[in-house]
Amino acid sequence: MPPDFWRRLTGTRTREPSRALTLTAPDRESIDLASYLPARLRKLDTLPERAAPLDAQTRVEVARGMNRGAGVLAGSVLFDSAIEHYRGGFHNPAMFFPLVSSTLSIIASASGVGDNTPSVRRERHVAYAAAAATGFAGLAFHAYNVGKRTGGFSWTNVFYGAPLGAPAALVLSGLLGVAAERVRDAAPGQRPRLYGMPESRAIAAVTSAGLAGTAAEAALLHFRGAFQDPFMYLPVTIPPVTAAMMAAVAVDGRPRKRPVTRFLLRLTAFLGFAGTGFHIIGVHRNMGGWKNWTQNIQNGPPIPAPPSFTGLALAGLSVLKMLERSRRE
Amino acid sequence: MATDDGMTAPRAVSGQAPDVFRRGAWVPMRQYPDSEEVDFVIVGTGAGGGTLACKLAEHGFSVVAMDAGPYWRPLEDFASDEAEQQKLYWRDERIVDGDNPIDMGGNNSGKSVGGSTVHFAMVSLRFRPEWFKARTKLGYAVDWPIDWREMWHYYTEVEQALAISGPVSYPWGPHRPRYPRRPHPMSAAGEFLASSAEKMGIGWSSTPIATLSAPRGLAPPCVYRGFCVIGCSTNAKQSVLNTWLPRALDANAEIRDLAMVSRIEMGSRGLATGVHYYRDGRWRFQKAKNVVVAGYAVETPRLLLNSACAQFPDGLANSSGLVGKNLMPQSNHGVYGLVDQEIRWYKAPPSLSITEHWNYTDTGKDFFGGYAYMSQGPLPTAWAGSLTSSRGLWGEKLVREMEKYNHQVGLKIVGEVLPQEKNQVTLTDEKDAYGIPIPRITFSYGENDKRLYEHAVRFMSQQMEVGGARDLFVESDTAHLGGTAKMGDDPRTSVVNADCRSWDIPNLWVCDGSVFPTVGGVNPSLTIQAIACRTGDRIAEMARRGELTRRTTPA
Ligand SMILES: Cc1cc2nc3c(=O)[nH]c(=O)nc-3n(C[C@H](O)[C@H](O)[C@H](O)COP(=O)(O)OP(=O)(O)OC[C@H]3O[C@@H](n4cnc5c(N)ncnc54)[C@H](O)[C@@H]3O)c2cc1C
Ligand code: SF4
Repeated sequence: MPPDFWRRLTGTRTREPSRALTLTAPDRESIDLASYLPARLRKLDTLPERAAPLDAQTRVEVARGMNRGAGVLAGSVLFDSAIEHYRGGFHNPAMFFPLVSSTLSIIASASGVGDNTPSVRRERHVAYAAAAATGFAGLAFHAYNVGKRTGGFSWTNVFYGAPLGAPAALVLSGLLGVAAERVRDAAPGQRPRLYGMPESRAIAAVTSAGLAGTAAEAALLHFRGAFQDPFMYLPVTIPPVTAAMMAAVAVDGRPRKRPVTRFLLRLTAFLGFAGTGFHIIGVHRNMGGWKNWTQNIQNGPPIPAPPSFTGLALAGLSVLKMLERSRRE
Repeated sequence: MATDDGMTAPRAVSGQAPDVFRRGAWVPMRQYPDSEEVDFVIVGTGAGGGTLACKLAEHGFSVVAMDAGPYWRPLEDFASDEAEQQKLYWRDERIVDGDNPIDMGGNNSGKSVGGSTVHFAMVSLRFRPEWFKARTKLGYAVDWPIDWREMWHYYTEVEQALAISGPVSYPWGPHRPRYPRRPHPMSAAGEFLASSAEKMGIGWSSTPIATLSAPRGLAPPCVYRGFCVIGCSTNAKQSVLNTWLPRALDANAEIRDLAMVSRIEMGSRGLATGVHYYRDGRWRFQKAKNVVVAGYAVETPRLLLNSACAQFPDGLANSSGLVGKNLMPQSNHGVYGLVDQEIRWYKAPPSLSITEHWNYTDTGKDFFGGYAYMSQGPLPTAWAGSLTSSRGLWGEKLVREMEKYNHQVGLKIVGEVLPQEKNQVTLTDEKDAYGIPIPRITFSYGENDKRLYEHAVRFMSQQMEVGGARDLFVESDTAHLGGTAKMGDDPRTSVVNADCRSWDIPNLWVCDGSVFPTVGGVNPSLTIQAIACRTGDRIAEMARRGELTRRTTPA
C-alpha cells in the first residue's frame, strides 16, 4: 500500500487553492470540441470566483448533514444486506463484511451527527474509508457472481443475481463520510479540495453519480417488476432529474441559492421514505401478506433499499448549504 | 348444511359465483332462465370455451357457459397433496386402444371451471409461423386456414390477458412484443437445461410462462413451491379460471358449474336450438341461438357424435366424416438422469427453461415437424409413478431410487405428431353414469412420429451426458390433444372453417384444441386461446354484418 494511501483516499488538505481562476469556458479561440472539453474539465478543477471561505460553525453544520446522509445510506445497506445475505444463507463468510462495515459506518455517522466540534476523529475517518473499500470489494464480488452464471450478464442474471446497487450504496456512504470529515476538518479560511476537486463540487459530483446509479438500480428492479404499479415510475423519474441538477452544481459550482435543486433534493429525500412505505405494501401483496412476513420480506420488494435516495439527497442538501453560505453578501 | 366442497352441489347459483381471489367470498353473476334463448351457450370453460365466453360477453352477447367440473376457489380448495388434487382431472371412464394407447386423465384432460388450464404447466408458446402453412412451406400434413400474422396479433392479446412472464427478448421466430412480465429466476432444474444446452452449442431461453413474476391485482407473484400441475393455490398461475372468467362475469356471462351436457338439440330448420344438460340432480334444457362446443379433443367429438339425430345420423357437423378423426396427442418423451449436485427439481414451475432449437432448425432431421423440450420437475408421487411404469421398479428398489429424488434432472419434449385419420375418438355401446356412451380413443404413432421422438431421445440423451448426468433412462409419454374437429378451407376435408363455425350447421361452433389441423411442437393452450379471441372478434364482426343467422357457404 503506498504510504499516502489513506491521505489519497481521504483527500489532500495541504494543496493550495487553485489559481486558475481566469479560465472561462469556452475559450474564445477553442471552438472545436477537442479543446473545449479539456477546458471544461479544467474548469471543474477550479473554484469559482467570489466564493467566500466557510466559517468553522458552518463547516460543522455541513459536515453533520453529510454524516446524516452517510448514516442513512449505511443503514439502508445494513438492513438490506442483512436480509439478502441471510436469504443467501451467508454461504460465504465474506457476506458478513458489509454488515460489520455498514454498522461501523452508522456508528461513525452517529458520532459525527452528535459532534459539534470542528475537530476530525480518526476513527470516523477509518470507518468510512473501510466502508468505501468494502463497498468496492462487494461491487467486484457481485459483478463476478453475476458474470459467472450461465448466460453471463443476461437480463435474468442481472435481475436475480447479486445486485450492484447495494455495495455501491456502501461505497457512497464511505465517500460521503470521508468527505464530511474533510469538510469539518478544514483550517479556517481554507478552501479544501476533495478527490482532486474543490470540495463542494466533489460532493455534488458524488451525490449526482450516486443518485443516478441508485435510480438506475431502481429502474432495473422496477423493470423486473414490470412497473406493475404506476408509483414504480417515481424513483426512475424524479431522482434522475435531481441527479442532473446536482451534476450541474458540480460543473457550475458557483456560490448561490438554488431553490429548484433544493426542492428536488427534498422531494427525493421524501421519496426515499415513501418508497419504504410502498415496499411495505408491496411485501403485503405477496402470498400470505405480512402474516407470512418471514418469507415475504425476503421475497418482496426490499424495504430498506429506497432510503438510499434519502441519504444521497441529505448529502446534496449539505452541498447546497455550503454553496449558499459561501456567497459573498 | 351440506358441505360446500364445490363437487357436491353447484356453487354458481342464486345470482352469484365464487370469488376466486377471496376465501369464502362471492361475486355477483347474471343468470339466465333455461327458457331464455341466449345468444350463445358454450359447452366447456377451458382454454377455448372460457376465453370465448369472455370475448363474446364483452362484445355484448348473452352467454351461458357450462362446465361439468366444479367452480374452485384456489385459495381454499387446493391442497398441497397430489392424491387430493386428482379432483381436478377428467377421470370419467374412457376406453383406450391402438398400438400406443394414450394415458388419459391427469395426463391431458381437466374437469373444472377453467378446464385443463387449472392444472396445466403454464408453458405459453407461440407456434412457429411456418406451421400455419405446414404443407406449403414445409411439405407435410396440411395448411391452416389462418394466416400467422393474424395469429401473431391474437397471441399478443392472450399474452397480455395472462400477464405472461417471459424473457426480455425471445430467441426464436419473428419479432413479438415484449412479454408483459419479466422472466422468473431460474430454478436448478432449468439451469441444468441451460448450461447443458450451451455445451451442446444450441440456444435456450427462459420459458414464457403463465405465472406472475410480479403481483397483479389480488394475485400474488409465484412462490416457487412447484405444485403447478395439481392446481396453484396462490392464484399466481394465470389460468382461465382467474383471468378470462372474472372478466366474463363482469361482462354479464353466466357460468354454470357441475353442468354436464349430453346432447345438442337440433331444430327443424337445420339449426341447433340448445343443449340438454344435467345439473343439481336433474336434466334440463337451455335454449340458445348458437351452440359452441369446447370440451377438448375427446369430449367435443363425443358430444357431436352423441347428438346424432334423424337429420344428421352420423353426428353433428360431420358431413366430412372427420368428427373424431385425426386425433393428435403430442409425443412427450423424457430423458432422466442423476447429477451430483442438489437440484430439488420440485421447486418452482417445472419448465422454466426451454429450447426450441429443433422447432426452428430444418436441417439434420430425418422427420417432418418439430419439437421443443423443457426442464422437468415432477412431484414425488408422479415421479414414483414414472419409475414404476418406465423402469418397473417396486418395493425396496423403488424406495432406494426415490432417495435420489433431489438429485434427479430431466428433459422432456413436446413433439409434433402428424394427423392420421385412423387415430380417432369413437363412441362405444357402454354408457357412463349419465347414460352417455363412453368414448373409445384409438391411437398409434406413425413412422414420422417415431423418427421424431427417437431423434429427440438421442439428442437429449447426448445433452444429458454432456451436462454431467448419469444413469439415464427414457420415459415414453404423450401430452395435449388436438385435431378431432379440424378447421380448414374446404367443407369436404374439415369440420369447421377458420372462424370455428361448422360447415354443416351455421349456428354450431367448435372452439377448443380439437380444431387444430396440425399440432406443431409447442404446448397448445396459448394457440387455443388466441383462436378463441379471434373467433370472438369474428363473431362480433359477423353479427354486425348480419351474417350470424345466415347459412355459411363454402369458400
Ligand atoms: C398436466 C397438464 C399440463 C399441461 N401443461 C400445459 C402447458 O404447460 N402449456 C400448454 O399450453 N398447455 C398445457 N396443457 C394442455 C392444456 O391445458 C390444454 O391443451 C388446454 O387447456 C385445452 O383447452 P380446451 O379448451 O381445448 O379444453 P380444456 O381446457 O380441457 O377445457 C374443456 C372443459 O370442458 C369441460 N367439458 C368437456 N365436456 C363437457 C360436457 N359434455 N359438458 C360440460 N362440460 C364439458 C371439461 O370439464 C373442461 O373443463 C397441459 C395439460 C395437462 C393435462
Ligand atoms: S410454483 Fe408458482 S405457479 Fe406453481 S403452484 Fe406455486 S405459486 Fe403457483
